[in-house]
Amino acid sequence: MSIATDPMHQFKLDRWFDFRIGDLDLSFTNSAFWMVVGVLVLIAFLAAATSKMKTVPTRMQSLAEIWYQFIAGIVKDVNHAPGKPFIPLVFTLFSFIFIANIVGMMPYWFTTTSHIAVTGFMAIFTIGLVVLVGIIKKGFGFLKIFVPSGVPFVLLLIVTPIEIISFLSRPISLGMRLFANMLGGHVALKVFAGFIPSLAVALGGVGMLMGGLLVMPLIVGVTALEFLVAFLQAYVFAMLTCVYLNDALGEAH
Amino acid sequence: MEHEAAEAGHAAGSGFPPFDQIGDFGVSQIFWLVLTFGVLYFAVATVFLPKIRKAVEDRDGAIKADVAKAAVLSASADASVKQFEAQIAEARARARDTASKAKAESDARTSAETTKVEADLNARLAAAEARINDTRAKAMANVSAVAEDAAAAIAERLTGAKPSPAAVKSAVAGVMGA
Repeated sequence: MSIATDPMHQFKLDRWFDFRIGDLDLSFTNSAFWMVVGVLVLIAFLAAATSKMKTVPTRMQSLAEIWYQFIAGIVKDVNHAPGKPFIPLVFTLFSFIFIANIVGMMPYWFTTTSHIAVTGFMAIFTIGLVVLVGIIKKGFGFLKIFVPSGVPFVLLLIVTPIEIISFLSRPISLGMRLFANMLGGHVALKVFAGFIPSLAVALGGVGMLMGGLLVMPLIVGVTALEFLVAFLQAYVFAMLTCVYLNDALGEAH
Repeated sequence: MEHEAAEAGHAAGSGFPPFDQIGDFGVSQIFWLVLTFGVLYFAVATVFLPKIRKAVEDRDGAIKADVAKAAVLSASADASVKQFEAQIAEARARARDTASKAKAESDARTSAETTKVEADLNARLAAAEARINDTRAKAMANVSAVAEDAAAAIAERLTGAKPSPAAVKSAVAGVMGA
């Protein structure tokens, strides 16, 4: 089957420029290119939006402020005052994932968040940061998150391993959720789109009619849904980062 | 159909790039992720967010300052309204005072004039009455003289003898006195 109907071809990485440091292959790929594009788009937008800050904002400035206050609002709601230093990080996480997802929605543009290496690393980084901040802030007391207070000792023997497993599964679920959503959405789009030529080949004119009348609206709907998912997954990732950070910052739960 | 497509995917040899290519490109992906993410984080944390935060805080400050200023102005406006009302009340009281004083004065003048005129009238009335009484008395005196003359003439005509003036006088007085 050709590229046109192969749902996995869109996720293929291509080496554009060879780049190695020692034994490490750090080649510039299509994925790297679209990461650079996404970051440049974000920086260009933010630079334009914040070039002349006014008390009465322009439309662009207003958008940047809404964007900032959306993230700051999440951090404030979840982490309260101690979360303030993490607003730039959560802002960057949300923006980076969001722009990567949106860039991926453009035909022929690569979805960098559809690779487990990228989302998995972001998740491990986030959880690693939680552990690091937790140890810095609470020292040994950070381990208390595995020992819920007010639970009888006998139950603790069962609950503590469960808490540890649940903590360890966080980076997996965090990375896997974003990766699977982006991958699955794009596969679904491609597969549904592939129905049209398949129907046309199999049934001729009737197949083309069915493809146009039944499948095309479905693709339009799924595309709209994917735009929602693109935002939602970035939001979920940012939100969960805040929730996990709360273990390190907040009072014992 | 979906099954066919998925099968075709495997058949075409694309496989499952996120897992298949992780060995070849995993490190490269992470490297570029860290690089681009780091650049974005640096730009956001050092340039853009402080700018946005400052604008938001400046606006909040400006709004708070303006609201405070508006409260002060409103309070001073209330004060001047109160002052103005006090002035109006004072002016009204003064006007009422002046009016009532003027009325009392005019009442006093009117009553003084009235008593004066009344006294004058009464005096004139009394004088007139006195004159009337005087005239009447004089007239009555004349009447008895006329009556005496008439009675003397009548008696002379009837009797042929002229009555004595004393007799006539007493006779007339007797009739008129009754």
